[in-house]
Amino acid sequence: MLRRAVGSFLVLLGVVLIIFLISHALNPDPAHLWAGPKAKPSTVEAVALRYHLNDPLPVQLYFFLVNLFTGRLGTDPLTGQSIASEIMFYVPNTLELVLAALVIIVAAGIGLGYVSAMNFSGPRDSAIRVVYLLAWATPTFLGSIVAVLVFATYIPIFPSGGMYSSGLTPPPRITGVFILDSLLGLRVQDFLSGLYHLILPAATLAFLNFGLIARIARSSILDVRWATHVKSALAKGLTQKELRRRHILRNGLIDVNTLSAVMFGWLLSGTVVVEQVFAWPGIGQFAYNAIAADDYPVLIPVVIVFTVGVIVANFLADVVYSVLDPRIALGESK
Amino acid sequence: MFIRGVKLKQLILSNKLSAAGFFIVAVFVLLALVEAASSGHITPYNPYKPNLEQVNSAPSLNHFFGTDFEGRDIFSRVIAALPIDVGIPLAVVSLSACIGILAGVMAGYFGGWLEEVIMRFTDLFLAFPALIMVLAVAATLGPSLINAILAIVFTWWPPYVRLVRGSVLEVGTEDFIAVSKTLNSSFFYILRKGIVPNVLPSVLVYATMDVGTALLNLSTLGYLGIGIPPNTPELGGMAAAISSNLYTHPLEALLPAFVLFLIIAGFSFLGEGLRETLDVKVRPHILVRNKVFGETKKVDDSDDHTSKA
Repeated sequence: MLRRAVGSFLVLLGVVLIIFLISHALNPDPAHLWAGPKAKPSTVEAVALRYHLNDPLPVQLYFFLVNLFTGRLGTDPLTGQSIASEIMFYVPNTLELVLAALVIIVAAGIGLGYVSAMNFSGPRDSAIRVVYLLAWATPTFLGSIVAVLVFATYIPIFPSGGMYSSGLTPPPRITGVFILDSLLGLRVQDFLSGLYHLILPAATLAFLNFGLIARIARSSILDVRWATHVKSALAKGLTQKELRRRHILRNGLIDVNTLSAVMFGWLLSGTVVVEQVFAWPGIGQFAYNAIAADDYPVLIPVVIVFTVGVIVANFLADVVYSVLDPRIALGESK
Repeated sequence: MFIRGVKLKQLILSNKLSAAGFFIVAVFVLLALVEAASSGHITPYNPYKPNLEQVNSAPSLNHFFGTDFEGRDIFSRVIAALPIDVGIPLAVVSLSACIGILAGVMAGYFGGWLEEVIMRFTDLFLAFPALIMVLAVAATLGPSLINAILAIVFTWWPPYVRLVRGSVLEVGTEDFIAVSKTLNSSFFYILRKGIVPNVLPSVLVYATMDVGTALLNLSTLGYLGIGIPPNTPELGGMAAAISSNLYTHPLEALLPAFVLFLIIAGFSFLGEGLRETLDVKVRPHILVRNKVFGETKKVDDSDDHTSKA
């Protein structure tokens, strides 16, 4: 476990180094890029001084790493607020959306993959496969726009955007995740409003992405369905129900678990568009605004936050993997 | 052309999914080629020319998809966007597959420190969340079509390296490779006759499905207006351009987006059908970092996969 954690940290270091090279060395004139295309020479000079952009690369790297690991990210030149506190504000909102979507995806993916595999090459199998291929092929913006048009405009059963009704004052901040805070603060009305606003974006995000999980669940269940150990378990007299639970479904879960980490990364990226269409104040919108404005002092830590999310998700998947599949010991095995 | 001893035509048409996918893909690739070759002469109207007398008109016989907020014919703009929306994903996937085959074969065949370096480097790039990184790199490189390709390839190649290396490891243990080695065949001979033909089917299947995913990313770049030069017709960008008119004229966004969806679905169907026919396993672990720095080399024991039929 320790070894895996150290490995994840090394990956993080490498990733930070690559991000540094992209932002500081990919462009021949980073100060000009950071200040924006219409900046005055004096502004460019100030930006270069502020972020050490005229120093030799190793010196730049030193300041970059020191600021990053001590959390001194500076102030956002666009809003004048502390970048660290802005990130802390937006990340929980995105986590709420992504985790809700992930729960739906895993449940629907395993369920549909299982039904599909158990009805192999029957009509249900074909129908499910066509649906998940089509869902996977839908661009996020198309899916989100259609969802807003259909379920918030033509049949107005859901709100078209936002995280909670505008009349409410948000509950005291404990975790930063709105629906968790409202639960912890015992504010039923806030909780219901948050849940009501969460359903449409989370379901949209889930519908667009469940295909990958369903496909993998289907193929890994197909792999074990006729495997010899399943046949022998049946021969020794295990009931169908036990057989499905202990041998078939469990095996299907292993690959799904691994892939959920990938899915988490996909969803983090996918929220950029969903958050924009649904006016969800998350880190994806924040990242997009920073990218569109060439706001590098914000962009760099935000990209690193996204990457940390992916690395942590992978690490967690590894841990769960060793629980699901006892043959795999974490790193200690030879 | 033969793949695994099956004629290409038979391979595609024997499966309903791949046949449907192939038909869709063929139509759009053909349209894109004709549009590119005729340098834009097959569109019924000039896709760039505003016509303020016919703004936001509904689909009709004159304008199949209607006109947009500047009176430009949407159908013409969709056709004009095809070379980009079909060409760039194909370029991205081909480039990534080339990198993957090159690096993956080197890692899988030679092993040792070379493999260690290549695979650790691949692991690093797998940790980037694709879309965010593509957006950031595209913004840094500046808007141009070449830069859009480079930005996507930047995050696109790692799964190919893992895929190829995995299949090379599998093939490398086969007897015919060992025999070839004892007969003192050159590396390139073994590569050409022994390894590439065995690696190609899985790369082909993965790449076909991947064209659609690459297009998803490209169109998101266009939708968000980053990396694609302004005024370039691109289906994602066209869906975004009218966002202010979304509630009054939703078709102006939905029609280009639907064409996009058709192209992506075509490639997914083709890839999924091919996967079924060729019986290739495209496993999730090519998308995931390996057991970091404590990797236990595990060659997939390919149990008899035929038993499921």
